[in-house]
Amino acid sequence: MKRIEALEVIDQIFGNDPLIITCGATAREMASISKKKSHLPLLDSMGLTTPVGLGVALGVKGRVGVIDGDGSLLMGFSILPTLKAYGPKNLVVVVLDNGQHASADLMLSQASEVDIAGAAKGLGLWVGQCDSAEEMKSLIASRTGADEVSMIFVKIEKGNTPGIPFYLANPPKLSADFVESINS
Amino acid sequence: MGCAEMRESNSRLTALVEGLTDWGIEYFVYVPSSHSAPVIRGLISAGVSNVMANREEEAVGIASGLALTGKKVAIIMQDNGFGNALTALATFAQPYQAGFPIFANTRGGLGEYNSMVHSISDSNPDLLKKIGIRVEDLGISDSPEVWRSSTQAVAQMAVIQRRPVVTLFESLHPGMETIK
Repeated sequence: MKRIEALEVIDQIFGNDPLIITCGATAREMASISKKKSHLPLLDSMGLTTPVGLGVALGVKGRVGVIDGDGSLLMGFSILPTLKAYGPKNLVVVVLDNGQHASADLMLSQASEVDIAGAAKGLGLWVGQCDSAEEMKSLIASRTGADEVSMIFVKIEKGNTPGIPFYLANPPKLSADFVESINS
Repeated sequence: MGCAEMRESNSRLTALVEGLTDWGIEYFVYVPSSHSAPVIRGLISAGVSNVMANREEEAVGIASGLALTGKKVAIIMQDNGFGNALTALATFAQPYQAGFPIFANTRGGLGEYNSMVHSISDSNPDLLKKIGIRVEDLGISDSPEVWRSSTQAVAQMAVIQRRPVVTLFESLHPGMETIK
């Protein structure tokens, strides 16, 4: 599965639920297929997506989704024990793992060598793993009513979708729309 | 530090807690610190929901998310952690207009026992101002009443202006003999 295919499915699953999206090619590809007020793409804050998602999930009652990447998660790996300690049951973190910093000249990430899902499991987090759209749908659906935070690691193909333009959005507008969406 | 000085220091930290409860704080995110411990323990005793973060940028992310949901949230940390937090503040909290106060105890001043912490702590006000973060100060020469009212006012300002605002507060290490 390509990243953009995974993003399309995740966008459909989460509908208008808050969705925090990691930076670089992930935010660009999502914006190329779907822009919603409920989307909060981080344009330049690698490693911060899951912490922001945790904060949002603690502040609202409904389901909150995070789309992180293996590279971004590795940059802020200390969030994993925090998720276990505090992670609310309404938070679903989907990690699109291509074993690569695809937005950084396609450099391999350490996830190509180490089992980051295994590390999350070792911390006691609930972890699901898959590599297809159908399995991903089913895993996310199975977490409805879960009693703890969910982490779903999805193996995706390496590389980026060609021809996607830079996403030149205005952060204050993105956050104002997001806040409006939360309050609506 | 003598008993009287310890009481004076603690009365200011108690005033900081009271200022935050006056404001109506709902959440705080903290990074452990012995200097800030009386504030952290005070807020926990007051029943304020909290998250302990492992790094300062993580705290900025969590607090930003909470602030965007409309929660009244503050970060409690030590100023030598701002090196970790700068990118998160500059690329997310500030541009995405997440309004919350950060209260950070200062290190590296009179009575400091660590030989290198001043190398980051002395530079923090300039570093923060350089990225557009407003910095306020609370010192041991300010009365507890000033600490309490300033704390509330700074927290309100951060929310109204939709931006993180830092207050650097002086506190003496609870376990050391020091100059005052």
